[in-house]
Amino acid sequence: MRWKYVLHIIGALVACIGMTMIFPLAWGLYYCDGTAVPIGLSMVITMVAGGLLFLFFRDPEASKSAMSHREGMAIVALGWFAAGAFGGLPFYFGGTFETVVDCVFESLSGFTTTGSSVLTNIEAVPRGILFWRSLTHWLGGMGIIVLSLAILPFLGVGGMQLYRAEVPGPAPDKLKPRIKDTALTLWKVYLLFSALETVLLMFGGMDVFDALCHTFGTMATGGFSTRNMSVAAFDSVYIDYVITVFMLIAGVNFSLHYLLLKWRPSVMIKDPEFRVFVGMAVVFIIVITIAVYGRGNYDSAADSIRYTSFQVASILTTTGFASADYELWPGIAQAILLFCMFVGGCAGSTGGGMKVMRIMLLLKQSYQELFRLIHPRSVSHVKMGKTVVQDDVISGVWGFFILWIGLLVLAAFIVAGSGVDVVTSFAAALACIGNIGPGIGGVGPTDNFAWLPDTAKWMLTFCMVLGRLEIYTVLILFVPEFWRK
Amino acid sequence: MRVIIIGAGEVGFHIAQRLAVENKEVIVIDKSAEALRKVAETSDVQTIQGSGSSPEVLEDAGVADADIFLAVTDSDEINLLSCFFANMLSGNVTKLARIRGSIYTNYQHLLTGEGVGITKIINPDEEVVNSVLRLMSVPGAVEINEFANGKIRLIGISLPEESPVVGTQLIHLRDKIGDELGIVIAALVRDDQLVIPSGLDVIRKGDVVYFVCDIRDQEDILKRLGILAEPVKEVLIIGGGNIGYKLAKALDNKFYHTRLLENRQKRCEYLSERLDRPIVLMGDSTDQDILREENIKDMDMVIAVTGDEETNILSCLLAKSLGAKSTVTRVNNFGYMPLIKPIGIDYVVCPRQSAINSLLHFIRRGKIISSVSIKGEEAEALEAIALENSPIVGKAIKDLDFPRGCLVLCFQRGDEVVIPRGDTVIEPLDQLIIISTRQNIPKVEKVLTTKVEFF
Repeated sequence: MRWKYVLHIIGALVACIGMTMIFPLAWGLYYCDGTAVPIGLSMVITMVAGGLLFLFFRDPEASKSAMSHREGMAIVALGWFAAGAFGGLPFYFGGTFETVVDCVFESLSGFTTTGSSVLTNIEAVPRGILFWRSLTHWLGGMGIIVLSLAILPFLGVGGMQLYRAEVPGPAPDKLKPRIKDTALTLWKVYLLFSALETVLLMFGGMDVFDALCHTFGTMATGGFSTRNMSVAAFDSVYIDYVITVFMLIAGVNFSLHYLLLKWRPSVMIKDPEFRVFVGMAVVFIIVITIAVYGRGNYDSAADSIRYTSFQVASILTTTGFASADYELWPGIAQAILLFCMFVGGCAGSTGGGMKVMRIMLLLKQSYQELFRLIHPRSVSHVKMGKTVVQDDVISGVWGFFILWIGLLVLAAFIVAGSGVDVVTSFAAALACIGNIGPGIGGVGPTDNFAWLPDTAKWMLTFCMVLGRLEIYTVLILFVPEFWRK
Repeated sequence: MRVIIIGAGEVGFHIAQRLAVENKEVIVIDKSAEALRKVAETSDVQTIQGSGSSPEVLEDAGVADADIFLAVTDSDEINLLSCFFANMLSGNVTKLARIRGSIYTNYQHLLTGEGVGITKIINPDEEVVNSVLRLMSVPGAVEINEFANGKIRLIGISLPEESPVVGTQLIHLRDKIGDELGIVIAALVRDDQLVIPSGLDVIRKGDVVYFVCDIRDQEDILKRLGILAEPVKEVLIIGGGNIGYKLAKALDNKFYHTRLLENRQKRCEYLSERLDRPIVLMGDSTDQDILREENIKDMDMVIAVTGDEETNILSCLLAKSLGAKSTVTRVNNFGYMPLIKPIGIDYVVCPRQSAINSLLHFIRRGKIISSVSIKGEEAEALEAIALENSPIVGKAIKDLDFPRGCLVLCFQRGDEVVIPRGDTVIEPLDQLIIISTRQNIPKVEKVLTTKVEFF
């Protein structure tokens, strides 16, 4: 592993993040809300730090040879942490939080598109800072698309090699050209949907600031809002439905969107993961609507559908916006939403969770085991649509599943150990490792994470990155073998 | 009419024999002197020893004056190459090639187009698959053939003892099963003898009847004949080779519960990757445990299509003894054919026989568009178009100058299937289906052929 090369690339990444602070800086100057100085300061520090790393570790020899698997993973994992650290600077200098842990928590919650917040009064925070807060989502979303469709399939992490062949881009033998081409293609799609949503939200009466911030939260399946009451503050049927639709869009594999825009909609319709994702959303919306309406939570069926579909889309895609307090809903509704937290979006989307694809593979594999008991001599393969899923993919998924659950439990123990009640501990760990945002109990849609002890916050911050980078990429840093020459 | 046959194997041998009987000028080319001697001993044909893919040999055989060129060796490549040279030497000759490999059959349009210019590709494996599928579509049928693009069927089925038509004279048959259903009895097999009946013959119990009907009436007719059989649903295919795979692929839908038994691990993997619903099993077809495990006694049909006929026959017998309802076996060697029924196997399919049938369609003189052999080879059903200048046009069926043992079964007029009566008059462009015993085929051809159109 070439350390200098890894730090060189991370330097470039940090410098780029510094440059994007120009946008909140512009908002700060425009609104004259006193955020220009802290943001400007953060920007300078970030760019200088990144630039120094970039220049100091420049090695013309290293850039010529291909990036190795290990270097790729180190860059991804350390890059995300670095982004979180520097992204917390505006909060620190702006005086939004008093402790370092809150700044890092909020920043990484943004970059991992989790959307869990330690802000108690969002509306009191100046707009420049709020804009940066939402922008971290959007930047994180860009990172995730490339990560999950170009880098992880190539590295073969957690069964993601299944997507190796399906993603647009050059032949999958070299990591670097592949990342570049795939990234550019998919970012165009991401940008297009973002622009569309912003315009649609502005039609619904939002100003440019709110429309942009909510678009960032939606397309990245993040969930930071600019209002204390989240999307409920706007109380508009139109806005609710626009956000619902775009959350679902963001929960679908972006390479399918790309093919859809290339006028090949049949690929999307035939995609087994897409079908299951849509099917799940529809069934859950119907069941919860019936439960909620039957219980009398809302007066009209139309309202029930509106709030249900928003909440299901928000939790299933792990966005975390709220337009209603689902903790007041009947048990079955909460149970289904809890299940949604585990599932998450499709692989290759900006959503978190375990991913629909993995759940499907595990169920299919389990069925296969039952099948083999009935037909002991049968030779059979797990298939996704017509493609045969290789055994190494399945074992990758099993490993991922076990680690995901194991780390969830471990994180919950640590949070509980810091003095938090048991329901909240598990919910908070789940909300963070699944990159969802709100959980249930003490961290429900109307609460936030500000009251948790610092130990819990550090642990949850770590969980967010863990979940976002599909576990393996982060955990591998803790394997001694990884560091050996 | 000069016919050149490349390959004196089983297919070439039988075609040569058939055509020689029909007084055609047959030239057989093969590398093996032994094989040629065998053909020459049994049939009146000319033989040339040499490679069919050699232009020199083809020229010697007089390909320039030939009407039909058959490439039926066991090698796809030699068949293709000899068709290629035949095309070069004489572009107008009708070229038929036996091609089995899917690497070629998936690109039929390349082979039939310019360049090689093959008139028709005969794929015996595919024909076997189709005949098994037809057998499955009418449970209990002995034989099923299709005409007029599948609109008309010729079904051979053995009548149950309690059938209401037993004891009926054929002229009264339609009164018995209902006048609205068109049916013509084409042949009866009684005491292993094939009879082409006249209206005065009586159906007896134990007869196997061959009848022709519109495919849409098929179900009603079977019901009225007293044949009530459950549709085939549970299927076990033994042997995952080319035919087994194609068959399983054809049965890869919700209706069938298909199991495919294969004994090579690698091939099992291949099959299971490509098949969706059929269950691929790895094991030996003569292993009783695996057959019991898969509930062999609930199987509606066991189809043994491995490349090894002894295995096929034995596994069918084993399956039958363990309770399978019906069995189909694939046999390559014609010598085993008479053995199959007596030992208790229900159906036999034979790729070579299928190839011969298909090839014969093309060799018939006149405007005969297809023909099939019935009950081995004792009789043939021919499909022919009545051309405007043909002597049969404008005549009533009963006035036709047909020899005994020949019957016009039915015909297709436009989209309509007409089951004729004695006074039905033949119109131009009717597609007739005629059954005839083998000896009478040349006579039938003579009646059908137009006066001007000679080869």
